[in-house]
Amino acid sequence: MQSSNAINYDYTVAKYFTVATIVLGIVGMSVGVIIAFQLAFPELNNLAGEYGNFGRLRPLHTDAVAFGFTVSGIMATWYYIGQRVLKVSMAESKFLMFIGKLQFWLYIVTVAAVVVSLIMGITTSKEYAEFEWPIDIAIVVVWVLWGISIFGLIGIRREKVLYISIWYYIATFLGIAMLYLFNNMEVPTYFVAGVGKWYHSVSMYAGSNDAMVQWWYGHNAVAFAFTVPIIAMIYYFLPKESGQPVFSYKLSLLSFWGLMFVYLWAGGHHLLYSTVPDWVQTMGSIFSVVLILPSWGSAINMLLTMKGEWGQLKENPLVKFYVLASTFYMLSTLEGPIQAIKSVNALAHFTDWIPGHVHDGTLGWVGFMIIGALFHMAPRMFKKEIFSKKLIESQFWLQTTGIVLYFSSMWIAGITQGMMWRATDQYGNLTYSFIDTVEVLHPYWTLRAVGGLFYLIGVFMWAYNMYKTATSSRAIEKEPQYASPMA
Amino acid sequence: MFHWLEKNPFFFAVGVFVVIAYAGIVTVVPDFMESARPLKGVKPYTTLQLAGRQIYIENDCNACHSQLIRPFKSETDRYGKYSLSGEYAYDRPFLWGSRRIGPDLHRVGNYRTTDWNENHMLDPESVVPGSIMPKYGFMFDKSMDFDTAYAEAYTVKKVFNVPYDKPGMPKLGTYEEAKKAAIKEAGAIVADMKDQAVKDAYKKGDIKEIVAIIAYLNSLK
Amino acid sequence: MDMELIRTLQGWGYVSMIFILTIGLYAYIYHLYKSQKSGIKDYEKYANLALNDEIDDCLVEGLYSQDEKKINRSVKNELAE
Repeated sequence: MQSSNAINYDYTVAKYFTVATIVLGIVGMSVGVIIAFQLAFPELNNLAGEYGNFGRLRPLHTDAVAFGFTVSGIMATWYYIGQRVLKVSMAESKFLMFIGKLQFWLYIVTVAAVVVSLIMGITTSKEYAEFEWPIDIAIVVVWVLWGISIFGLIGIRREKVLYISIWYYIATFLGIAMLYLFNNMEVPTYFVAGVGKWYHSVSMYAGSNDAMVQWWYGHNAVAFAFTVPIIAMIYYFLPKESGQPVFSYKLSLLSFWGLMFVYLWAGGHHLLYSTVPDWVQTMGSIFSVVLILPSWGSAINMLLTMKGEWGQLKENPLVKFYVLASTFYMLSTLEGPIQAIKSVNALAHFTDWIPGHVHDGTLGWVGFMIIGALFHMAPRMFKKEIFSKKLIESQFWLQTTGIVLYFSSMWIAGITQGMMWRATDQYGNLTYSFIDTVEVLHPYWTLRAVGGLFYLIGVFMWAYNMYKTATSSRAIEKEPQYASPMA
Repeated sequence: MFHWLEKNPFFFAVGVFVVIAYAGIVTVVPDFMESARPLKGVKPYTTLQLAGRQIYIENDCNACHSQLIRPFKSETDRYGKYSLSGEYAYDRPFLWGSRRIGPDLHRVGNYRTTDWNENHMLDPESVVPGSIMPKYGFMFDKSMDFDTAYAEAYTVKKVFNVPYDKPGMPKLGTYEEAKKAAIKEAGAIVADMKDQAVKDAYKKGDIKEIVAIIAYLNSLK
Repeated sequence: MDMELIRTLQGWGYVSMIFILTIGLYAYIYHLYKSQKSGIKDYEKYANLALNDEIDDCLVEGLYSQDEKKINRSVKNELAE
C-alpha cells in the first residue's frame, strides 16, 4: 500500500465550485434581501427602471439560490466527498478531471446566461423552471457531464462498498434529470412560425395539465435538490467532523429507501375520488403512513450520532451548524405535511406562510449544511487552518437570529392575512378590502427583511473567513482526521 | 436480492428509475387525460391579447397575482365565480401563481376598465392608495412585440390544434391579416385611453405594450 | 377506455404499489437486521467509510483485482517521474 502514498486527492474542481457557491450565495441572497425590502418599502422598485422591480428580481433570487448556491454546493461537496469515500483521486483519471472542469465552466456560462435573461424578462414563468429552451439545453449538458463524473468515479473506485452519501448523490442526479426534462418540454415558436424572437417557446402542456406537471416538478425538485443531496452531505460531514460513526448505518439505508418511495408518492389524496373500494383506500392510507415513518430516520440518526458527544456542540462551531441544520430539517418536514392538510391549506395557500416554510428549510437546513460543509472542506483543500473560530461563532448566532426573525414574522404575516381574507361582518359581507390585508403586513415584512439581512451579513462573514483561510491563514502540516483546526 | 443491489450501482440506478417512472405514470397520466378539455365558450387568445400575456409573463406579474379563484365563499365574494379547469385549456403556460401579494386576476376584466388599468399601471397609488405595486410607466414607452405573439398563436394552431380560424373562434389567418386585426383591436382600446403619446404612436402604427396588456387584462373574465 | 375505468386502474395501480413498496421496505429492514445478527454482513462497519477516508486508509471492502491494477499504475507513474 505504500506506493499509493504518491496519490493525493485532487480538489481542483471542488475548489472551483466552492468559489461559485460563495459568489452565487452572495448574489442570490442579496437579491433576496432587496426584494424583501421592496415589499416593505415599495419605492425601492424604481431604482433601476424595469430591470429592478420585484417581478424581474424575484425569479433571479429563487434561481440564483436554488440553482446557483445550492447546486454549486452540491457539486463542490460531490467533488470532495466522492473521491474520499470511494478512495480514488481525480488525479488518477485525466478524463474525469477534464469532464469536471468542463462541467464547471459550462455551468458558469449557463449561470451567466440565466442572470442576464431573467433580468431582461426572458422567462417561461414556471417557477424554478423559468429558463427558455437554449438555457434548458445547456443545463441538460451540464447535468449529463455531472452524471459522467459520478459514474466515472464510481467505475474506477477502490472501495467496493458505496457509502450512503454516494447513494444520495446518485438519486439527486437521476431525480433532477427526469423532473427537469419532463417539466421543460416546450416548442420553440420561431422554428414553427419563422417570425418573432428566436428564443421564445410555448409549453407542451396547457392549463391544468401544465400546472400539474409544474407542481409535480416543483414538489419533487425540492426533494431532489434541497433534501436528498443535503442528506448526502450531513451523512458525511457530521460523522467526519465529530469523529463519531453514524449511529446506525442500517437506519441510514432504510431511511434512504423510505424517502425515495415517499417523496414521489406523497399524499394519498390521488385516491380519494376514485372508484376503488373503500377498504382498499383505507389500507392504502395506513400503508402510506407506515411507509413514511422510516423517512424521518435520517434526522433522528444524526442526532443519535451525537449521543454522549454533546460537549462538542460547545467546542466546535461546525457541529453546531450541522446539528441546527438537522433540527430545521425535522421542523420543516413536519411543517410541510401540516400545510398539506386540507383545512390548513385553505388558509395558508397564497399567503406568506408558504415562503416562510420554504425559508425554514432553505436557510436553516440547506444553507447551514452547505456553509458548514465548505468550512470543513477548507482546511483540507487549502492545507490551512480556518482563519477565525470567533468569526464562525458570531456568524452562527447572527444567522440563527436571522432565521428566527424570518420564520416567526412570516408565520404571523401568513396567518394574519389568511384570516383577514376570509373575515366577514355580522351580515356576511367581507370585512376587509384587499389593500387592508396588504397594509397590515408592513411591520412583518420589515422584520422579515431584517432577518434576511442578518443572514446575508452572516454569508459575507463566511465568505471573508473562507477567503482569509485560503490566503493568509496558518498552514497545517498534517490533515486532521476529525475536528477541523481553527484559529 | 438486497445484497446484490447494494453492490451493483448500475442496477440500483435502474431500480430507482423504474420506481420513479411508475409513480409518475400512475399519479399524473390519468389526470392528464381527463382535464384540459376546453369549456364551452372558452376561446383562444387573439394575437393582441397574447402579446399582452407575454408582457404579463415577461414582468412576472404571476409572482404576485394569482389566477385561480378557489371555491370558498370568501373568494367568490371577492373575485367572482370560482375557476374551472376547462377555462384554462388555451393557457400555455398556466398562470395560477403561488402567492397573492396582490389580488387574484382571473376575472379582473369583469370589474376593471381600460381607463382604470391605464391609471393603475402608470401609478398604482393613484387608484389604490397604499398599493405596493411597482409603477409600470415603461410600458407606455416600449412597443409591443407582435411578431412573437403571432409566432406563438401560429405554433399552437399548427402543433397543438388550437382552434384558430374555426367557426365562432378568433381569426388568425396570415401574418398580414393577423397584424391588421391586432391593429384594429388595439384601436378600440387606445380610443378609451387618455395618454397622448400612446395615441400618437398608434396613429403611426406603433402599438405600445400598455395597450396589449390592457387587452389581455380585459380578456380575463 | 372510458375515464371511470382509467380511474379504477389508477386506484389499483396506486394501492398495489404502496403495498409492494411497504412490504419491500420492511422486508429490507428484516434483511438488514438478520444479516447483521447472523454475521453474514456487518453493516455498521460501513459507517467507518466516512471516518477513515484517507486515500491510503485500509479499505472496508476493496475491489482487489482492480486495486492491484491501480497500484501498479501508480508505481509505474512513480518510476516515470
